[in-house]
Amino acid sequence: MPSTTGSVAIEAIELTKRYGSETALDGISLSIPTGTVYGFLGPNGAGKTTTMRLLTGLSTPTSGEARISGTPVDDRRALVPHVGYLPETPPLYEEFSAREQLEYVADLRNIPPETARSRIGSYLERFELADDAGKRINSYSKGMEQKTAFIQSVLHDPDVLFLDEPTSGLDPRAARTIRQSITEFADAGTTVFLSTHILPVVKEVADTVGVLFEGRLVAEGTPDEVKERAETGAGSTLEDAFLAVTSDVDVVAEATAEGDG
Amino acid sequence: MNLRQDLRHGGRIGRAEFVRSVRGYTCDTRRILGLAVALLFFGGNLLFLLPPIYVLGRSVRSVSTIPYFGPAATLLPVGLFLLGALRTMERLGSVDTEDLLLTTVHPRAVVVGLITAEIGRLLLWFGIPLVAIAGAFAVGLGSPVFLVTAGIVVVPIVCCMAVWGYAVGIWVLRILRRLPTVRRVLKVGGILALISIVILSQVAARYLVTGNVSIETLLSLISLTPLVDYLALGFVGTPISATITPTAVVILVTWIALTPVGLAVAERQATALWFTDDPVRNVTTDTLSETTGSSGGFSPPQPFSWTKAGRIAWGHLLRAVRHPQEFSHLLMLVFLVGPMAGTFFQSSSGERFPVLVAGTGVLFGVYLSGATFGLNPLGDARPQFPLVLLTETTPRTFLRGRVVAGLAIGLPFTILVPLASIAAGSRPLYGITFATVGTGFSLIAALFALGLGCAYPIYEERELWGAETVAPSTLVLISYSFVVMGGTIIGLGITWFGLTGNLIVTGILVGGLSVYLLPTVGLPILSYWYSQRRYRRYVLD
Repeated sequence: MPSTTGSVAIEAIELTKRYGSETALDGISLSIPTGTVYGFLGPNGAGKTTTMRLLTGLSTPTSGEARISGTPVDDRRALVPHVGYLPETPPLYEEFSAREQLEYVADLRNIPPETARSRIGSYLERFELADDAGKRINSYSKGMEQKTAFIQSVLHDPDVLFLDEPTSGLDPRAARTIRQSITEFADAGTTVFLSTHILPVVKEVADTVGVLFEGRLVAEGTPDEVKERAETGAGSTLEDAFLAVTSDVDVVAEATAEGDG
Repeated sequence: MNLRQDLRHGGRIGRAEFVRSVRGYTCDTRRILGLAVALLFFGGNLLFLLPPIYVLGRSVRSVSTIPYFGPAATLLPVGLFLLGALRTMERLGSVDTEDLLLTTVHPRAVVVGLITAEIGRLLLWFGIPLVAIAGAFAVGLGSPVFLVTAGIVVVPIVCCMAVWGYAVGIWVLRILRRLPTVRRVLKVGGILALISIVILSQVAARYLVTGNVSIETLLSLISLTPLVDYLALGFVGTPISATITPTAVVILVTWIALTPVGLAVAERQATALWFTDDPVRNVTTDTLSETTGSSGGFSPPQPFSWTKAGRIAWGHLLRAVRHPQEFSHLLMLVFLVGPMAGTFFQSSSGERFPVLVAGTGVLFGVYLSGATFGLNPLGDARPQFPLVLLTETTPRTFLRGRVVAGLAIGLPFTILVPLASIAAGSRPLYGITFATVGTGFSLIAALFALGLGCAYPIYEERELWGAETVAPSTLVLISYSFVVMGGTIIGLGITWFGLTGNLIVTGILVGGLSVYLLPTVGLPILSYWYSQRRYRRYVLD
């Protein structure tokens, strides 16, 4: 089970990432409590994937620091039991079957074989993959691949789960399965860092929303708070708020400052 | 009107494809450096070639006295046709963004575009040296007009053979699509044929040198007079111009007439290929296929199951067997070992033959131990790095997994071939010693490969036999081959001298052995240490 001893699951202080003269991420600070589903929004190229890579230790920041469950992200060995990461492109071996892939990953994660078999069996059933678990992944649909990758990212019961567009391109049934799983994991104490463009998903599952624009966090709060701060008027949607905060940064910065003040 | 529009579209597609290729050749510093090295090497050779060509131009008195003109006139169209067909089968059978192009322009435009781009690429690679050679000859001949006339004569051949090569290549692809079993057999057969050709070419060359058959006699057999007469048209207006024969004119008309016919055939073939489906669903998309299934989970056999590195190694082996394109870079071995093997086996006497077999087996096994899985560990695992780097398994274990997988491929050759040589007449001591020494070299090669591969990882996937695969850098491959094969040959030589009692312990010998053993053992250890460091600090920037 995920640890719930620390109150802050994800902590980032002034994270900055530069590629030459280009700034991909400009001093992001985050403090996300344990058990939160954090919806991470932003237009294409805003720096969402860069942020996730920095928070998972897969990339190094130009400056700033980050901790996951109190563990510095640059201590990869100590970090790995705490995090599960599902990148936008599922990291799967196409030549394996789903069962082979998951048993292989369980071995790499030092999960005892009996526990692994039981968990894998249970997840395969839950994600309706049991009948196809023996087929090679190169014969899978995108939804099946995504579900397999999702299972492998949670197989070790991580404290923090990073999901990059987990429902993108999925049919409604598969997308719902993933959404329900996100909620269930959060209820069990897992912190979920969810990056997506699909705003209804965020609205449905996220406790807190952060909006990234041009490498800066331009809005943060509950979905309702973000809508309020964006001043998009009564009856506005999260989409309206998103469009507002990612089109006029100065206004939003002021609104956020006022809100904080 | 339609034809003109298709040709215009085709020209645009050809230009776009050509520009894409050129940008691909020069997209990063590594490729530019590679091109610069190739340019230096081949450019230097060309510079040395030009003076003799100039002298030839000055001395030649008639077309028939130009060395190998007859065979060249025959082989030129045949070679162009085969090149076109093979390139089509390998790469030009489809185009990137096929869905876009086929829903935007007529297939004929796509065919014209692909062929135009290919001719452009051909000119880019071979145009400048050919013009330089023809120019040197023309200056020697005292007739610069030769450059123009030769060009006019060659263009119809190139166009005609390009479209027919494309048409036949597409036709073969259609046949192979209907016969998937034949396609699979051809893939394996093709590699075996390549190996055979490389080895047999050495035997043939040796036979030509030592035998009674002259190469001129052989080449004269493949000279077709009509094609020779046609190519001689290129000398019209020069001092060595011969009479224009009616046959030459007929051939010219044939090239010109066959080009649009070939284009029509190519278009029909391509349309049939692009707009029809496979008779059976491809296994890569067949969700119901039983052939792609695996009954159990991930259960490596013993001894792989004993350690985690062994289980990781089994994962590599399993995936490689299911995706054999991962081994494509090992074809380099064919070109390295093929010529040597041909020469060795021909020159060896009956007594030495088993020892040479044992040595070759060791060499083969040592090479494979490192080259199979060790030459691009960061590159070929990159898509899975978000997974593997975030597991509890240490980089050392992953790297050891690669070592074990490499040894699992290499050691059977290293050990079994020398032992089998005992049955062929080698002394047991020789066979056992070669196997023992070879085992050590295999481990050394596997460790050395890891550091070399980590120093220069390659991430770009390229399509090979219908599958995307990431091959190690050619530079890494050549360096590895040079160091490992050189070091192994020296080591085996020392072993052989030791076994036959020809090693006399002197100060020079001890010094020499120290100089040899220090890098042989030290370099792989350093290399392994470096690979761990690179792996541990790796980030996805």
